[in-house]
Amino acid sequence: MRRKFITLLIGLILIAGCAKAGDSNAPASAEASAQTSGPVTVTDMKGRTITLSEPAERIVALTAADCEILYAIGAGDRLVGRGEYCDYPLEVLEVTSVESGAETNLEQIIALTPQILLLGTMAQSTEQLEPLESAGIQSVVSDAQDIEGVYTAIQLIGDLMGRQGESEDLISKMKSDFAAVSANAEANKGKTVYFEVSPLEYGLWTAGSGTFMNEIAEMLGLTNCFADVSGWAEISEEQVLDRNPDYIVTVGMYFGEGPKPDDEILGRPGWENLNAVRNGAVLNLSNNELSRPSYRLAEGAKLLNDFVMEHRAPE
Amino acid sequence: MNSAREGFRPLTLLIFLAASLITFAICVAAGSVRIPPADIITIIWRSVRRMPAPADSAAYSILLSVRLPRVICVALTGAALSISGAAMQGLLRNPLADGSTLGVSSGASLGAVTAIAFGITIPGAPFAGTAVCAMASAFVSLTLILSLAYRLDFSLSTNTIILIGVIYSMFVSSIITFITILAADKVRQIAFWTMGSLSGSTYANARVLAVTLFVCGGVIMTRARELNAFAIGEDNARHIGVNVGRVKLIILITVSALIGVCVSIGGTIGFVGLVTPHMIRMITGPNHNRLLPACAFGGAVFLMLADLAARTVLNPLELPIGVVTSFTGAILFVYIFFKSRRNGHA
Repeated sequence: MRRKFITLLIGLILIAGCAKAGDSNAPASAEASAQTSGPVTVTDMKGRTITLSEPAERIVALTAADCEILYAIGAGDRLVGRGEYCDYPLEVLEVTSVESGAETNLEQIIALTPQILLLGTMAQSTEQLEPLESAGIQSVVSDAQDIEGVYTAIQLIGDLMGRQGESEDLISKMKSDFAAVSANAEANKGKTVYFEVSPLEYGLWTAGSGTFMNEIAEMLGLTNCFADVSGWAEISEEQVLDRNPDYIVTVGMYFGEGPKPDDEILGRPGWENLNAVRNGAVLNLSNNELSRPSYRLAEGAKLLNDFVMEHRAPE
Repeated sequence: MNSAREGFRPLTLLIFLAASLITFAICVAAGSVRIPPADIITIIWRSVRRMPAPADSAAYSILLSVRLPRVICVALTGAALSISGAAMQGLLRNPLADGSTLGVSSGASLGAVTAIAFGITIPGAPFAGTAVCAMASAFVSLTLILSLAYRLDFSLSTNTIILIGVIYSMFVSSIITFITILAADKVRQIAFWTMGSLSGSTYANARVLAVTLFVCGGVIMTRARELNAFAIGEDNARHIGVNVGRVKLIILITVSALIGVCVSIGGTIGFVGLVTPHMIRMITGPNHNRLLPACAFGGAVFLMLADLAARTVLNPLELPIGVVTSFTGAILFVYIFFKSRRNGHA
């Protein structure tokens, strides 16, 4: 029972698109032709080559991040099925939902007759996907582990959909957003941030090294309190108090009962002497801005940067 | 043992009390963050004398707001689970009876998950809805399991009861999964809840646990003589004048309340209620007058040590306490099982 839920939880976290530590990306170069019609050849993020006679007209995407990217490059109207946890932008909720992750149901996908199934790598082996090939559906893996990987994924999806121009624009927008926030890096040197993934009541989980949160903290010049921990991990409350973060970011969602996630942290007994709590420097990012390998990481970085600027101690 | 009085002898009580206090002290002194013993004494001294906290001391908060309430909650949970285990084992004359083997803990989880999924709350007291639902569901589960078991096999043999308990647990876990799918928007909350841990325990939790333990544990202990009578068979108990139905109902209600509160605060923690009574029985013998109070101390010590391991082994990471209790509990159980078997045949 418990193990099942841990699996479910980890599944959720992975579906939310969190990077694991130590993984390097498969080299994924998109070598598509520049024009927006005609044959398309791409190499997916598992190093497999996929060829289409023309950009995909019907596509199913299982991960939330890929759905976000499809909409951002203006190809959302060609999405005929989505993973059940995809929730951004709002229009995606009107698309037929299919099971994803470990429960991926090939029948549901085949019934939607897409040309392309876009999925992450965590749940299926290539053999398990063979029925798709015989149904004429090509599977494409998009599995970004870091920001560089997100650029690759965007480029890959752009090529598949014949939207190279839009994907280039999206990538350069991200790059310029990231450049803007890292301009403050020098001023933030020595400041620490603690990312809270699950609230105290359920055991504290944080994002350590090898996660997008860690990468963005570094970009802003902040030090992740728990950079010595790799990936997502349950950590001791005592350690948080001892490491005394200057900023706290919680990704907790508000369920309508009790205090809001940030207020709950501000009110925790024993936390009142933390720098972050004393300065009211607790930020709640509840829309997965920092946990999915999507273009919205740039938004998350911007929100975090604004928040840090706002709470910077007057000097 | 023949010459001994029935009650808990003062010396034994003293030994158990001392063992618990020493374990308590060790668990407060050791933790993820190292605090020098001298500082610990200063901090506790200052707080006892109600002197204001030094403004900049992380150690102060770590000790008084994090570690102390947690160790207290762990000790009380251990005591509660262990007393419930001993009471169930006595009542059912079944060495395998325990909240987790009988399916009571799963039942309590079902109540809590239902409360979360359908937003059952008690106005003015956030999260109390979960606890009350967990308790009620634990009680319903226990009644259901036992009445089923009685129908199948009046003697309540080990196999029947455990079989029903295991099947009930599976049944309940399928319902929980079903509810989780229905309430897709609460999936994260439910998932986190079922992983629930004793980290983040507060003094308020400790108060709830203490009151429940005091009331329910006390009630169970007043039934020690009746439980002794049950040990020689339910019919025999009836013949010597025990109001069998009443005692059973009282034990069922108190055990459900204890397990319900424990589950709603710390999640399901396996093996404590199963193993501790066996270990204690090897020391005190089967008389419930001694067994029950000794179990309260023994359970507290066992769970405090398990929690200490959970807090420190992978520092700065934290292990779920259930991992530690199931790991050590299973090994201990096999050991006890072998030992009692061999003695039995010798």
